[in-house]
Amino acid sequence: MNDGPFDPQGVVWQRVSPRLVTVRLISTAVSVAVPLVVTVAIAVLTAVPWTWALPAVVVAAGVWAVVLVPRQVRALGYAERDEDLLIRRGILFRALVVVPYGRMQLVDVEAGPLDRWGGIAKVQLHTAAASTNAVIPGLTPEEASRLRDRLSARGEARLAGL
Amino acid sequence: MTTPTDAPAVDGDLGWQRFHPVTPVVKGWKIFVVLLFVAGQQVSTNVSSAQQAADALGWWPVLVGLGVVLLAGLGYSTLAWRMTRYAVGEEAVHLRQGLLFRQHRAARLDRIQAIDVVQPLLARMLGLAQLKVEVAGGTGSNVELSFLREAEAQQLRAEILARAAGVRFEPAPGPGGTVADAPGATPTGTPRGAATLPGVAPEAPEREVLAVQPGRLVASILQSGAGLASVVAVLAVVVVAVVAREIGPAFAAFPILLGTVGYLVQRFNSEFGFRAALSPDGIRLRHGFTSSRAQTVPPGRIQAVSLTQPLLWRRRDWWRVQVNVAGYAVTEQQEESILLPVGDREEALLALWLVLPDLGAQDPRALLDHALSGEGDERGFVTSPRRARWLDPLSWRRTGFALTDRALLVRTGRLVRRLTVVPHERTQSLGLEQGPWQRRLELASVALHSTPGPVAPRVPHLDQVEAGDLVAEQARRARTARAAAGPERWMAQLQAEARAAASPAPGPPPPSPPPPPPSGPVAPAPPSPAPPPSVPPS
Repeated sequence: MNDGPFDPQGVVWQRVSPRLVTVRLISTAVSVAVPLVVTVAIAVLTAVPWTWALPAVVVAAGVWAVVLVPRQVRALGYAERDEDLLIRRGILFRALVVVPYGRMQLVDVEAGPLDRWGGIAKVQLHTAAASTNAVIPGLTPEEASRLRDRLSARGEARLAGL
Repeated sequence: MTTPTDAPAVDGDLGWQRFHPVTPVVKGWKIFVVLLFVAGQQVSTNVSSAQQAADALGWWPVLVGLGVVLLAGLGYSTLAWRMTRYAVGEEAVHLRQGLLFRQHRAARLDRIQAIDVVQPLLARMLGLAQLKVEVAGGTGSNVELSFLREAEAQQLRAEILARAAGVRFEPAPGPGGTVADAPGATPTGTPRGAATLPGVAPEAPEREVLAVQPGRLVASILQSGAGLASVVAVLAVVVVAVVAREIGPAFAAFPILLGTVGYLVQRFNSEFGFRAALSPDGIRLRHGFTSSRAQTVPPGRIQAVSLTQPLLWRRRDWWRVQVNVAGYAVTEQQEESILLPVGDREEALLALWLVLPDLGAQDPRALLDHALSGEGDERGFVTSPRRARWLDPLSWRRTGFALTDRALLVRTGRLVRRLTVVPHERTQSLGLEQGPWQRRLELASVALHSTPGPVAPRVPHLDQVEAGDLVAEQARRARTARAAAGPERWMAQLQAEARAAASPAPGPPPPSPPPPPPSGPVAPAPPSPAPPPSVPPS
């Protein structure tokens, strides 16, 4: 995918695991199901025709999310360069984060219950800046711990204080 | 940083000390005032029923109740004071506190971002002060030593700064001890003889550089956005009350007025008597009316600087300088992050010089003038392209950045002019963002992530190729600058180097020395003749 500034020269992007699609679809389904049930109940109980528009809106939002999730996961990528880590995400609202190894304060590996069931984990880098949003979701657990160890080792080697 | 496991081992070697015995009174008084305030709020929401309750009980029980609350607060504070101790070790400042939940907090000296001496009103009247040691662990991770005698607090601050700087200490020897080597020795001069000090650290000498007159402060506050809004609101309420001959609307608007006027008063209170001084320990800031605060920010701890000019200050060309310092809590007022509350252009540029003595440009003054009030792409500024006017019609001509050898300058804003300066070695991470409209116009925004604070360096709406180039270039410059940056302990390397220079063996390569205090008269002329610090071979 050649996206101009979001695809710097000489960078080979690594994709995340497709199991992230499954996990995200499940959580989207859950977050759509509850309002759907509520709005359908309202429409059935009040028996006024136009209230069926509410469940229709919820269903439309759900379909939009279902279409979007696989494309979003395909757009996620990360690349380990010599001195920094690049993370890209987003289709409509694209973002690219460059995190120097020497600036990393913490590396977190997280997996909630749904993630564990789906067989993925999330790696998050913390710097001294609160606005660094360096998150790589959807890695397999082995890849996540390998990445964490490599990042910690590189961060240690290039430690640059604050 | 808390050290959970090695507290018992550390206990023995440190000299644990208690705080001043009057501390419980000051802290208990604060608890009492807070409770009184809460009670007052409850009463004011329902005055009539409170009145009835008071009449039914009579006044004595109410007073006795208040007395009991006061004594309870005092008792709790005394217990807490007995359990609290502090010590300053070789590597960290230690604080032990807590009644039920014991806590031992150790703040590493080489992680210190700033040291403040704060005197709330009651403490000031009693001659006490509070010492706050800020490390970069975010809000709530700082070490607060309260309360000490004023002189003791100053002394302790000097000692902590000397240790953090890397000056080695000996406990006080007899009268025939080693020759003193003051931490205030000029950094470029050669320290004489031994690199150790007797027990008492002399405070590093300082040189006052900036001061804000009260008249100018009041005028600037009234001419700020909030000030104007408050004045208009007060006038509106008065006019309505006079014209309608009713006092009702005034009472209804009272809480809002209290809020806005209260904000102005608080701002005046915290910025009164502002003075900035330069010392080898870093930048020293003093300000405060009822509660006075003296901040010390050691060299290299300022992450980003911003100079802003609201529309109403443009006539007098006043600027406000704010900084990001890791460890200062992000509160609404941001009173700790102000480097200069108001000053004319010369003073603002002098404040910028305090942070970044060498801008790394050929003609710094012209560059800065262009950055502060110019527009267009002269002097190496890269600005938004013309098509950005669809997204930012007001300030697209002014939005732009300039890269110098030492820093990145970001210029934004037309009504509220803003210049943000980030030294290369203080760049944390970089972000490149593009929304759907921006992609249509082939634009992108670049954000430099910095520690939490009032300064958020961001260049919106650049041409996307230039934005990508900026990210790559900034990453490269940040990497080079990090490799060449001075050490955390800013005096240690100098002393080691001086000792090595005194001995025949080859010493370590010289680092960039901390900014030297300005010699000669303190003319508020921004300093292009400042000597550039030496950059070691990377």
